[in-house]
Amino acid sequence: MRDVAIIGCGMTKFGRLEGKDLMDLLAEASLRAIDDAGAGERDFDSVYVGNMMAGELVHQTAVASALVDRINLIPAGAERVENGPASGASAVKNGFFAVSSGASDLVLVAGGEKMTAADTDVIGDLVSTMTHPTAEYVHGVTLPAMAAMLTRLYMERYGVTERHLAMVAVKNHANALKNPYAHLHRECTIEGAMSSIMIADPLRLYYACPISDGAAAVVLCPLEKANEFTDKPVRIAGFGHASDVQTLQEREDPAVLKSVQLASQQAFKMAKLEPNDIDVVETHDAFEILEIVQSEDAGFFEKGKGHLAVEKGVTALNGKLPINPSGGLKAKGHPVGATGVAQIVELVWQLRGEAGERQVKNPKRGFACNFGGFGNNTVIHILERGW
Amino acid sequence: MEQKFTGFKCKSCGRVMYPKHDRCLDCKGTEFEEVELGEGATLLTYTKLYVLPEGIEMPPLVLGIVKFPGGVRAMGQLTTDDPKIGMKLRPVWGKLRKMKDKEIFGFKFEPLK
Repeated sequence: MRDVAIIGCGMTKFGRLEGKDLMDLLAEASLRAIDDAGAGERDFDSVYVGNMMAGELVHQTAVASALVDRINLIPAGAERVENGPASGASAVKNGFFAVSSGASDLVLVAGGEKMTAADTDVIGDLVSTMTHPTAEYVHGVTLPAMAAMLTRLYMERYGVTERHLAMVAVKNHANALKNPYAHLHRECTIEGAMSSIMIADPLRLYYACPISDGAAAVVLCPLEKANEFTDKPVRIAGFGHASDVQTLQEREDPAVLKSVQLASQQAFKMAKLEPNDIDVVETHDAFEILEIVQSEDAGFFEKGKGHLAVEKGVTALNGKLPINPSGGLKAKGHPVGATGVAQIVELVWQLRGEAGERQVKNPKRGFACNFGGFGNNTVIHILERGW
Repeated sequence: MEQKFTGFKCKSCGRVMYPKHDRCLDCKGTEFEEVELGEGATLLTYTKLYVLPEGIEMPPLVLGIVKFPGGVRAMGQLTTDDPKIGMKLRPVWGKLRKMKDKEIFGFKFEPLK
């Protein structure tokens, strides 16, 4: 296996992007990443596009074929990668395999989603179809409902309070205010979050991510060739990918995200690192409880203690382990197919020291966690400076 | 005939599962028999959903996870607006929702008197 480097990255702003369709977004992010890599004159071998539901949302299929046509990456082999809301990280994983195996020398990985093309209730229903068809979906189970039931388990067992959820939201909104690419540029207060409308008791609107459009992209090549493009290559040091039973209730313990535990352990083993070697983290906080649970099951904090780390400011931008400097899914936004790629883009900027006002102090290694369901399919990446 | 809430017992290792899998979660066995899960299930967690999916008219929709005496868990609608963790419930057959104008029936959970 060859070492793989990220040599360029780019993304669109996330948000309600009127006047831009899915292909506009994918093309914009991809061209930015190719420019950033200085690879405009090069021929690409492979293209992977993370996208969850273009067919359903914008009535378009085979989006990878459309992208290579649009930005002339012809004749690169191109395919769409679908793994629910982890389509982005799964696309990066495919790119990693293509380069590490020796099959491809120059790869574009993009991820994008045009969520606002559909009405909110249609999007809610499409996302709910990720749940078990007979044991969950037909009963009216939605993703917010699952997050609410997980939250209540955490409240009962570990003493997590609504205030802790609000603290995560306040932190992520504050980070997003420093991120020009973020969807929500709005200060959030504890009181404001705790008085927002109830969507799935005990979850209020501010403990969940918004509906966003957006795209992100990275360019990969073998680390040994990275100096042809950049003096700051970022190495993919490890990845992990694991699944679990689909329904929340059938898990060994419904309050444990076992796929996060297993995927994280795989990634740390491959990278020959431990959780305390990580300097910056991006989590999949589609709901704020998930940032707390993932931070524990990934190994950064003891089980049941993640909310205390939030309380003490450990996960703040200037804390010991900043989590979601980008603003996270909560405030940067969550265009599902883009999210996993955008997490990688944020970590690359952080490691290269190019994150502007939200720059974490001198990070050497970053960790990203992307969910392909509700905790039943997790893709982890660990990145480190390759210079 | 009254409908009973059933799980699926692996004929090789005896593990009872709900919902059904084509291979046992423990031993990968492929033969199962349907078994009743019983009446008294305990409520482990719940939510009151205010943003409703299609075909459910009145908020809140109360959903919960219950645990049957043998340890098998199920998620479903609760017929009470006043759920309490630890309360005992039993499965009852009823209308769950409308989907594309078709009425969908299944088990809900009702507090034991």
